[in-house]
Amino acid sequence: MTVETNGEDVRVIGIPRALLYYRYGVLWETFFRSLGLEVVVSDPTDRAVLAAGEAVSSDESCLASKVFMGAVANLIGRCDAVFIPSYASASPREGFCTKYQGAPDMAANTFRDQKLRVLSLLVEHLDKPREIEEAYIDLGKRLGAPANVAKRAYKAALKAQKVADDSRAKAQEQLLRQLKQQRAAADGEAPLAILVVAHPYIGHDPFMADPVLDALREAGACIIFADETDHGHAFKKSFEFTDTMPWVTNRELIGSILLLQDQIDGIVLISAFPCGPDSMTDDAIMRCIEGTPILNLLIDAQSGTAGIQTRIESFTDILRFHRRGGYLHE
Amino acid sequence: MSNEEKRPAGGKGSPFLGGLLRRDDSPTHDPNAPESLQWRIAVSSEKRAHPLRPAKKKPQKDKRHSTNRVAFFRYSHYDPCFKYFVEQVLNAEYLPLPPATRRTEEVGTQNSTDYVCTPFKHILGDFVDALELGANVVVQFGGPCRLGYYGELQESILREMGYDNFRMLNFSYGMDGNTALGWTRECLKQVNPDINVPKAALKLIPLARMVGMMDSAYDFYLANAGFEVEKGAFDRAWATYMDDMSAVTDEASIQEAHARGMERMRSIPLNKPENPIRIGIVGEVFTAVDARSNLGLDKKLLAMGVELHRMINLTNRFVRYNEPNLRQSAKDYISYDMGPTSTMTIVAAKKYAEEGFDGLVHAKSAGCTPEIDCEPVLMRIAEDYSIPILYLTYDAQTSDTGLDTRLEAFYDMLAMKKQRGAWR
Repeated sequence: MTVETNGEDVRVIGIPRALLYYRYGVLWETFFRSLGLEVVVSDPTDRAVLAAGEAVSSDESCLASKVFMGAVANLIGRCDAVFIPSYASASPREGFCTKYQGAPDMAANTFRDQKLRVLSLLVEHLDKPREIEEAYIDLGKRLGAPANVAKRAYKAALKAQKVADDSRAKAQEQLLRQLKQQRAAADGEAPLAILVVAHPYIGHDPFMADPVLDALREAGACIIFADETDHGHAFKKSFEFTDTMPWVTNRELIGSILLLQDQIDGIVLISAFPCGPDSMTDDAIMRCIEGTPILNLLIDAQSGTAGIQTRIESFTDILRFHRRGGYLHE
Repeated sequence: MSNEEKRPAGGKGSPFLGGLLRRDDSPTHDPNAPESLQWRIAVSSEKRAHPLRPAKKKPQKDKRHSTNRVAFFRYSHYDPCFKYFVEQVLNAEYLPLPPATRRTEEVGTQNSTDYVCTPFKHILGDFVDALELGANVVVQFGGPCRLGYYGELQESILREMGYDNFRMLNFSYGMDGNTALGWTRECLKQVNPDINVPKAALKLIPLARMVGMMDSAYDFYLANAGFEVEKGAFDRAWATYMDDMSAVTDEASIQEAHARGMERMRSIPLNKPENPIRIGIVGEVFTAVDARSNLGLDKKLLAMGVELHRMINLTNRFVRYNEPNLRQSAKDYISYDMGPTSTMTIVAAKKYAEEGFDGLVHAKSAGCTPEIDCEPVLMRIAEDYSIPILYLTYDAQTSDTGLDTRLEAFYDMLAMKKQRGAWR
């Protein structure tokens, strides 16, 4: 087996700072720390990490996948084993991109010659919390912890993740309230509220998103992240938009758009090229979300940011013009 | 007559009922009937009971038949199966599509995002063709990757393009609870509310067999068509086989058509060397299988005189698919299911490598995430068994010159490798 089942000798566990880390990072770190392991998270993405990932990836894989491979490469030699879970999509409406499903095997095969040890677990149904809990407890047991310790560690980890998610959602609500007050106070002069719709591993990865976010901040916009909206609420809301969409993260992003649409001035979609789920979701958003201007940005491993700046500037100019009543459609 | 006596009393007052109940064929009268009715009894019994002239039946209109014209997308050699599904299971009209044109491609590409996977573009073009030919229902499948969202997005694109008067039978719906029940409900709702469900369900069994037979026939074609003595003999036999299969209505006729077709193909004289070059095709379920999507990959390779094998088809992926079992045979490489067709790609590649094939062709559409993720594994297999793999990525292209060059170079390399191996 390329992905190891036994990890009793593992003392230092590595977590790649990519993909699902941005969704479950707190959970993973807390879980492994509670089990008494040392946790190493790979370095924040920079050009070197990306270059290392590009060197070992198929050139057709998406930017996020290349960053992921770079992050795994970054961990080689710094830990006993790397933790890469397999999140499959057996639930038809709460799945993930197949990238997450194949990630452990992909990494294990890519770095076979470097003798990379991969520890993993399988989550098939995101809507069955019992199954997820059992998968984590099983992993804890494989790491040499007794079942009750593993269970306690998972409960603590789950709680920590929830606290982190909730505090982000609260902060967002507060920001929105603040914006509303500002808008009421100073008519026309309040900062533009821009909803950034991006997968968390893109929107919160400084290397990938900062060119866009910096340009937005420079243009005087206030950024609201769609992935920080309360997940459960947004997920439910997304069924008003689509019945058959299979990806849970995209559903949450769409739900967030629907929830916040009347409180924002514009939407910026950021996708990594060529993201599978986004290739269809962005199309659906562009077609079906009406009444709010949308900028659809596709980012790739380019170093020039002039193109992005131009597009952001013109977009914010349009929004300002729009707010002053420049465009007279509804 | 004993029959006469057993006849219920009602027979007396209502002679027609009596006629219906009668079993024997002798035209007998009821002597107790009033005289005014006698002639009618005589005529009716004569009509019913004539031994040489069976009662002419009016062609009964099937009340459960729906006049909805249903169209599928174009997909490899499965058109007869789709036809059988629509006509026998859904009991509706099937609209066959003519071969795709350049316009099909263009319409599909123009109306979808450029980095969506290629089958999406092909199928969108197919649906436009179908709707222009007068279909009112188009059928789309669901799946665990992007395929699961194809239907809904395509429907909204088509409506935005101005095609209003159609419904989509989308198997991505109805998956929330009991899938079989949900899909049945979808069929009833979108195509034909009068389907006799138990009867239709029974017809799915011959359909599954039909898919299996067609796939096995195509496997035979792939393995042998490269060595025909008379050029084009296999293609002619295959075309006849497809025609026969399009005309089937039940299990017996399916078997008959299949047997006839296989016989015809088996009787084609071959000039097959002892140890031919064998190539395995692996890859994603649409592109590796569909000739239009892979620009006639099968035919191009067969024309070079090679034996082809391809594990991926509807039978192996859907009818007989057991992922955990399949994965067992590749457990040195993978621990988890890596995506919808990944396990089959990897297992097939390993199997062909073990069996000493000369080369592998990996065919996928541009941006197919699961198949891209397979590539590191395939590279390890290539390394371990020293088997060459040609990676082909297809987008909506119209020119196949580049493909020709690559295939020729690949063939030459395999041929040289084989020759050198023989010298050794």
